[in-house]
Amino acid sequence: MGAERLRSFLTSRRGHLAFFLAPALTLITIFYLVPLILSIYISLTPLKYWQLNRYLTDLSHPLENYYRLFYLVTHHPDIGKVVITTIVFTGLTLVVNVVGGLLLALATYLMEERFSLFYRTLWLLPRMTPIAVYSLLWYYFFHGSRFGILNSILLSLGVIHKPVWWGVDEKLLPWGAWMILVYVNGLVGVSFGMIIFYSALRSIPREQVMAARVDGATTTQLIRYVLIPSIKWHIVFVTVWELLSLLTTYAHIFLLVEWGLIDKWWGTTWALFVFNTAFTAQALDQGLAAAAATVLVAIGLVLGLITLKIMGFKELMIEPRGEL
Amino acid sequence: MNPLQRLRARRREREEPLIDVETIPRRRLTIVLAIAVGLASLPMLITYILLILTSFSNTAGMLTISDLAHYVPTIQPWIDFLEGKVEPTAGHLYTTMEILGIILNTLIVAAGVSIVVVLTSTMAGYAFSRIRFRGRKALMQLVMILHAFPGVALIIAVYALYVWSLAALPPSAWNTYAFIYVILSRASLEIPMSIWLMKGFFDKIPWEVEWAAIVDGASRIRVWREIVLPLVKPGIAALSIFAFLAGWEDFIYVWVFLKPRDIYTLATFIEEQVRNLETAYFPVVAAAGTLYLIPTIIFFITTQHLLLETYAGGMKA
Amino acid sequence: MPSRQTIAVIAVIVIIVAGIAAYLAVTSHKPTPTATTPQTPTATKTPQAKLELTGNLKEDLLRVAKVLTSNGIHTVKFTVWGAGDPNSVMRTLGIVEAAHRLNKILEENGVDLKIVVEQRFERGGGNELFKEFLAAYEQKANPDIMANSYIHLAALASQGLLLDLTPYAEKYTGLLNDFYPALLDAVKWHGKIYAIPQDTEARPLYWRKDVAQCIYRKTGINILKDLAERVKEGKVTWSTVYHYAELAKKTGCAEWGMIHRKGTAHPDLIQFIYAFGGRLYDPKTGKLVLDVPAVYKWLSVEYAFARAGLTPKNMMSWDWAKQIHPTVVDGKTLVFIGGTWHWTEWQTKPYYTDPKTGKKRPLTPEEVAKYFYYTLFPAGEEGGKPVTLSQPFVWYVAANAGKDNPKYQQLSDAYHALAFLLLVKASDPDINAIHSIISSHLPVRRAAAKLLRDKAWIEKLAKLQLDLAPEVKKAIAPIVKATVNPINIEFLANVSSYLEYTHLTPKHPYYGKLASIFADAVDKVLRGEMTPAKAVKYIIAQVKADPDLAKSVEIVGKIPENWKFPTS
Repeated sequence: MGAERLRSFLTSRRGHLAFFLAPALTLITIFYLVPLILSIYISLTPLKYWQLNRYLTDLSHPLENYYRLFYLVTHHPDIGKVVITTIVFTGLTLVVNVVGGLLLALATYLMEERFSLFYRTLWLLPRMTPIAVYSLLWYYFFHGSRFGILNSILLSLGVIHKPVWWGVDEKLLPWGAWMILVYVNGLVGVSFGMIIFYSALRSIPREQVMAARVDGATTTQLIRYVLIPSIKWHIVFVTVWELLSLLTTYAHIFLLVEWGLIDKWWGTTWALFVFNTAFTAQALDQGLAAAAATVLVAIGLVLGLITLKIMGFKELMIEPRGEL
Repeated sequence: MNPLQRLRARRREREEPLIDVETIPRRRLTIVLAIAVGLASLPMLITYILLILTSFSNTAGMLTISDLAHYVPTIQPWIDFLEGKVEPTAGHLYTTMEILGIILNTLIVAAGVSIVVVLTSTMAGYAFSRIRFRGRKALMQLVMILHAFPGVALIIAVYALYVWSLAALPPSAWNTYAFIYVILSRASLEIPMSIWLMKGFFDKIPWEVEWAAIVDGASRIRVWREIVLPLVKPGIAALSIFAFLAGWEDFIYVWVFLKPRDIYTLATFIEEQVRNLETAYFPVVAAAGTLYLIPTIIFFITTQHLLLETYAGGMKA
Repeated sequence: MPSRQTIAVIAVIVIIVAGIAAYLAVTSHKPTPTATTPQTPTATKTPQAKLELTGNLKEDLLRVAKVLTSNGIHTVKFTVWGAGDPNSVMRTLGIVEAAHRLNKILEENGVDLKIVVEQRFERGGGNELFKEFLAAYEQKANPDIMANSYIHLAALASQGLLLDLTPYAEKYTGLLNDFYPALLDAVKWHGKIYAIPQDTEARPLYWRKDVAQCIYRKTGINILKDLAERVKEGKVTWSTVYHYAELAKKTGCAEWGMIHRKGTAHPDLIQFIYAFGGRLYDPKTGKLVLDVPAVYKWLSVEYAFARAGLTPKNMMSWDWAKQIHPTVVDGKTLVFIGGTWHWTEWQTKPYYTDPKTGKKRPLTPEEVAKYFYYTLFPAGEEGGKPVTLSQPFVWYVAANAGKDNPKYQQLSDAYHALAFLLLVKASDPDINAIHSIISSHLPVRRAAAKLLRDKAWIEKLAKLQLDLAPEVKKAIAPIVKATVNPINIEFLANVSSYLEYTHLTPKHPYYGKLASIFADAVDKVLRGEMTPAKAVKYIIAQVKADPDLAKSVEIVGKIPENWKFPTS
């Protein structure tokens, strides 16, 4: 009888919907939405050292973490650098990711396939490399001693005469540190744009490209009037997606700061600040981290909604074609 | 043509080799672009070559250009790494079997994540593409916005849910549960984007293909499984690669839930070896890092063909 | 358009919030077992009288075994975690060896009980392990015993995660009295014993003999003459070191005068605070102390060295393997603020460029002895005392030790006592001495220090003819081969005497935060971004920016006027 009812439910329209949506929505609810709300709740508790039993029911000073955060932001001698770095880093890296991804996609699209595959694989490596090893590679690349790879190349070319401390030299700050941050994160981000744009370009009907060529279009004209307009939507998507990703990026910065490659404060973004607050041994202050993350999330939410509106959400949601 | 024939035709079309779309001779353009991109790739090429060379050396720190003059290749770091010596003078910290176990664990997490992601997002993507229901737009929007919430901000709460749920299980099941929990929680971070991508794939499939079957009285679930899914195979393959990569490289979830149970993955293993630069022994780190890259490179190259179609599909407006 | 969707989104969120709130409301009424852990350390669970120990290991072991076997338990499993460089594996293997020895006693007495130890040794510092322990605790995946730095004791004990060992340890006065007093201090918090010392180290100031020789040749000034003695008597201060360093640079005998480690200022550079007679902790108030004059003087030293080009201004960004160590082992600096472990590190890592071949290789033990002279960390200024600083590793017992065993609720006392007895056995002089030798740490008890002078025993160790668990023997064999050498053992024995001068940084949950602020300031001073006076203000500002930290730190004293470095 129960099986009979289940069967009739599953053949109903509502049943179909439940069948298709339930697994994804359940997972998103359990591992995304509930933790999200819970971490806002945690920001009202003095949770630290991972000790839930001890602190999670303590709501005696619910706004304490926000007060401390506010206090920190208004009193910490270097917090201004963190805020500025977050803004500049997000903005610059976003441009690098989108423009770089676009350039790479165009180049690999226009060149012959055997080169193209090699470069696409190469540019995907940063995404595939374990973060610790990836950080290590760039640590030695940008290291300020004469052993740093960049320095040793520039020295032997005679461009510079003594090693440059790219990430910490006060004459180069903050741009030296930012350059490294943007470069290292940009390389990881570029591959996302590259793959999306490249596949979008390949899905442009061949006839369009041929027609343009037959009409005598130069490569620049082809790019400008045919290729770019047809992937406009993808550019918007990548921009939004990367913007939200960058706001929350910390992993590829964390070790570079810890190892002293870049200035501690000109190299710390808000997301890294959250991570450090929650996870370094000096401060396993997870209530405070949750508060800082909540602020981050609020910013992300606003930015996300604005960009969704700008890019025209309606356009995205073509009406379903599966209705009987 | 009946739907099946059409389906076959479509498949044939997909299996066609990638044809160059350009009609004018491209040799010169290729050379110019290859040099330009090559120059931009130079730093990357250098660093990755040095990584591999380091794994075949006995050097303090990573090999840098100035060390190349005295470079002596040696296979020793690989032997040390696989035999459980993280430094030439150290004792054996683990056995060869254990390092194989670490690789296996990494594979389990990565494969688990990709299976969960593919399964759930092909289902949800289909619903968003084909079924009209209230709140559809809002849900899609929510799914997109979720990306603004970083995994690092969620981990404490995810941890709390985990701790509470442990009490319901016997201790003997905890290790297995930890694996399942890591896979599900890590997969959930990938699901939003994957739903978007899969929806795009389904949008591309002409509705007539299923229509005939549904009119014939087949259930929607059967149609989805037997007719529509085979058509989005490239999407499934590509999605699984991206999800696989996500699981393969995950650090923080694995660190919180598996490492305390003495279950390592390559990511946590490598991090432990290199975290403290003061005492790290780099050739072994480089060997582990190189080994880590190999499966992902093979994966990418072999599935390249399928990958090219994914994102475009996902983005189709 | 967005309005309806946004409402839907908000509705979903509200529903979930309500769900969570309801869940929490339900769970908060239902106390979980760990929730009953007392909030104050003074009320930490103490073992009941029924299992009182006598102080005689064999008797106690048999007594505990009887409780367990009469409850039908014949195997007890413990897990132990430890961290460190790969040569410090005895931090966990020591417990394995102790279990082996206790099992032997049980067997000899016909008791059907076996202790099984599962160990996990992790490469890296204790900080990572500390974090893992905390994250593991509520998952019930934490180890029963953990070897970690004493520095985490306050944090762990204040959260009620450690077993109070006082009632057990009090019975073992013989053992306690054999530990160096400073180390026994390290395991106490609020008057209670929370751990047993495992190893320690000292931080000598290394002097290059060849650079000193070169200065002597060129100027006739013999730096090394009675240097160790002069440092000990306080006649050589940091001003003297400054002048010597200047000499080394001026004569061209060395590129740099002084090199030190980088990273968090804990603990090497903290020695300056003690060398200038400062303090970091007020036992009366239980607060950390920001000793302004001492910190100011410390920063002034760094500032002066960096401005004179004696210490690189980018010191904190130097690379370990490419710069710091090669500079030291190639003799490009007069002094190096290092630690005892460097003595053998230079023998195992290829930092040294062989002038003959131009290739990199490790130094031999003979070369290390030939190139390096070592002294205590000199006094800051005249009238002061030389210091050194130790950061002992200790064995902690988790408050839930034995949790993986049957009938835990009922028999926890027996399991706790057994865990403690493992620590007692693991403190056997030979286990401690083996660890010291193969990892270049200092012994924690006098009986072990004595073994370092016992030639016959060392001979046996070198040949591995000691009676050890097969597992342990196998694991340490390659390390023994690489490290057991009369030159190294003599070095350890000599440096052990430094423990009389040693200081320990405070056991305070916020000490780490304060130390990392110091590191920020040192970096800024070395670079010349701030003067010492400004840097002190910067430290104060950072302390005050964190209300919690501000409450726990007492700021004492003022920047001394008319004080200049070098003082003479």
